[in-house]
Amino acid sequence: MRTVRLGAGMAFWGDSVKPAAEMIRKGEIDYLCCDHLAELTMSILAKQKKKDPSFGYTRDVISLLEGVLPVAIEKGVKIVTNSGGANPAAAGERIAELVKELGLSDVKIAVVTGDDIEPRIDELMSSGVTFENMDTGRKLAEVRDKLTHAAVYTGSEGIVDALDNGADIVVCGRVTDIALYLGPLIHEFGWAWDDWDRLGMATAVAHAIECGGQATGGLYAGGWQDIPSLETLGYPIAEVSEDGTAILTKTPDTGGRVDVGTVSEQMVYEILDANNYLTADVTADFSQVRLEEVGPDQVRISGVTGKPRPEMLKVNMGYRAGFIGEAVFTYTWPQVYDKAQRGLEFLRNRLKRAEFECTDDLVEYLGHNSAWGKVIGEPNDPDRTELVVRYAARCDDAENARKVFTESVPLYNNGPAGVAGVGTRPPLKELYGLWSSLIPREHVHQSVHYVEV
Amino acid sequence: MSTRRVADLAHGRSGDKGDTCNVGIVAYDAAGYEELKEYLTEERVKEHFGDLVKGTVTRYELPNIISLNFVLTGALDGGGTLSLRSDHLGKVMYAWLLRMELPEKAAA
Repeated sequence: MRTVRLGAGMAFWGDSVKPAAEMIRKGEIDYLCCDHLAELTMSILAKQKKKDPSFGYTRDVISLLEGVLPVAIEKGVKIVTNSGGANPAAAGERIAELVKELGLSDVKIAVVTGDDIEPRIDELMSSGVTFENMDTGRKLAEVRDKLTHAAVYTGSEGIVDALDNGADIVVCGRVTDIALYLGPLIHEFGWAWDDWDRLGMATAVAHAIECGGQATGGLYAGGWQDIPSLETLGYPIAEVSEDGTAILTKTPDTGGRVDVGTVSEQMVYEILDANNYLTADVTADFSQVRLEEVGPDQVRISGVTGKPRPEMLKVNMGYRAGFIGEAVFTYTWPQVYDKAQRGLEFLRNRLKRAEFECTDDLVEYLGHNSAWGKVIGEPNDPDRTELVVRYAARCDDAENARKVFTESVPLYNNGPAGVAGVGTRPPLKELYGLWSSLIPREHVHQSVHYVEV
Repeated sequence: MSTRRVADLAHGRSGDKGDTCNVGIVAYDAAGYEELKEYLTEERVKEHFGDLVKGTVTRYELPNIISLNFVLTGALDGGGTLSLRSDHLGKVMYAWLLRMELPEKAAA
């Protein structure tokens, strides 16, 4: 039976590029699929593109390709990536330069676009697309002048086209993470666009591996102590059959483990309704997924079906939402809790005198309740040896956000006794709000252009 | 007798989608799955998360991998990069569910 081997090379912008380099040498893969985009990565990339039109893609793709491209070309492994981000064309050009720098030739790079609808928002709104927030029902007008970008989670079509036309590297913008895997399979197996069960099954395969090391023992809560060599974790590989089911494994001779436990945790990671996993190409039903160990580091995944794809596609927009100002300081025994309260009062009073304005603020005690907040009681045990206080505030402008640290500095010599480590000024963190909405798919068309070296 | 917790029967993982956090719980065995399916109702889970979840709790079942998925809305202080919380992506919300106490098992 014919199979296609897909490898998960990257799970986010900034992920280590070593697992992909190892996989391309030892993993016997046909495709290396790399996801570089988290929900708000596009906001950051759009900002970079505005500053310099040759940027706006995730530049880690260059260090990734430096490590994998010579072997990929030699072995005929195709690379599919969404590192194009807000500027796939610029990514394509930079990759073409890299191909030359590496002394390679006869490489066909495909650039998939069509997800960026930011320039068309007014036109689309006049044709009836409201872009109303799908979570809150709020109107786009509230944030319209603060938008950073608008990108549609697009599906596999552009990738399939590119591969059908012989591309070696496919660079996309905001395609779904799933499409990076589904595209190669549709190209290889020739599945029909309405073969919902196969597409649904393959969606689950993609979901299981697209977060890289999280399927092979990374973050494993079911027994992290027993996962061998987390430092050299191998990334996951799916050997997919024509019916869409697969054997999940990892690069041989690497750390980590693939078993029913590690894969199960990943199956329930970042999913909503298990019966209706929505993606641009299909609505997958994960509820009856089966996992079975068929060998060392080998798990067979099956049991997933599909239903027609959604008529509406999800739009990912970001808007500028101000800044976070932050101060972290530590108090020590005795009366550590009382000192922390006085320190906070000191900070708040100084901020008031500095005419500080914020829209929201938060106190956390790091090491005590920074994960679970108010459901954990106050850290008022009199024997407590130390307390790390974090005060954070959301501000509309940078000037107010800066005041938080500035007004915390005098805690060092004017505040209550026993303070240690006020620290140095942290970089100001700009905030982006996520605005999710829907658009009828007839308004969205992908296109592909090629750069040949 | 020591306190029984969800962690004795299951492991888990959590993550974000905007201001929604999902908490996936994977039972160690079929008996544990049955007990958790019975006990971890949407109401109990919502109550356990208290102030951490401003919205709703919806549960989905994946019986063949003995897993439950809880979708918590309004759970990340605005979500993603808007959140003031240290755990702005909800990566350790699962552990709070694992801490939930279970009733003592009826004597066999």
